[in-house]
Amino acid sequence: MATLLALEPASLRKLLKRGLRQGLERQDLASLLELEWHWKVDSSEALDLLAALEQRGWFRCDGDHWKTHLG
Amino acid sequence: MAQILAIHSFRGGTGKSNLSANLAVALALQGKRVAVFDTDLASPGVHVLFGFSPEPGQATLNDHLQGDTAIEHCAHDVTPTPVKQAHGRLWLVPAAMDSDRIARLLREGYQVEKLNDALFSLSEKLHLDLVIIDTHPGINEETLLSTAIADCLLMVMRPDTQDYLGTAVAIEVAERLDVPAIRLVVNKLPAHFDPEQVRERVASSYNVPIGALLPLSDDLLTLASSGLAILVYPNHPWSERVRALAADLNASELA
Repeated sequence: MATLLALEPASLRKLLKRGLRQGLERQDLASLLELEWHWKVDSSEALDLLAALEQRGWFRCDGDHWKTHLG
Repeated sequence: MAQILAIHSFRGGTGKSNLSANLAVALALQGKRVAVFDTDLASPGVHVLFGFSPEPGQATLNDHLQGDTAIEHCAHDVTPTPVKQAHGRLWLVPAAMDSDRIARLLREGYQVEKLNDALFSLSEKLHLDLVIIDTHPGINEETLLSTAIADCLLMVMRPDTQDYLGTAVAIEVAERLDVPAIRLVVNKLPAHFDPEQVRERVASSYNVPIGALLPLSDDLLTLASSGLAILVYPNHPWSERVRALAADLNASELA
């Protein structure tokens, strides 16, 4: 969780925070990406971000929810 | 989905666990289904206020976090009679009190995300309205998680310079984690302190609403955690202000 606290920019912190609790449904994820980054969920930018986060093991789709894994 | 209320302090000895237990009762007296999680795993204590001590075979939060015990088996019904009469329910998820279990937890640690999942899993299974997290003082992985997932954070402090400084750090963390609502509770306020001066100092120190100013009380000191003040001394000013805090949280839909 200390990673979450240190992360910049704030929009990335917000995304990973929203992945806590019960996680984000795909529609919630799409809305957040649109609101914070002005990206469509299936845009190359969004896919690159999600892939980078997944590669670090921080954020991935578990079943039908995207969830944060920071410790 | 249950609301998550994290009750935190930067330093120990603020009366955080006492407030957690009594506020849980105050909210359950309003007919709510409440669970209290003792995440002060290094120095647990809130169970004492409920008169609960895990018997051999009774599971604790440690059994879930460091084992495969289902979280619902770690939740124990501690509903006092007046709460039952008010159609509320109260569960406690205690932490282990055995020194070897505490040492094991400190030595081996656990996946803090398991705590996150446990809170929401229990909330669904018991149809909870509210989960109260009694945190470990200071900043660590559990308190960061509790802060990050809270719908409302209650910061408890004494009117003490060290507490003022430490609380500022904790509030900065909470604001960075975008906690939707933060309330400050000043506890153990000596009778000779001017409440208005304390309010002004708090207001000038933090841009956070005051949830309650709770007096230092000889009656609570005499009770010495052997019971719930809100039930033992229902007309005491401390209890009245805790009930007012509960009503305020309820009205604000934060609890």
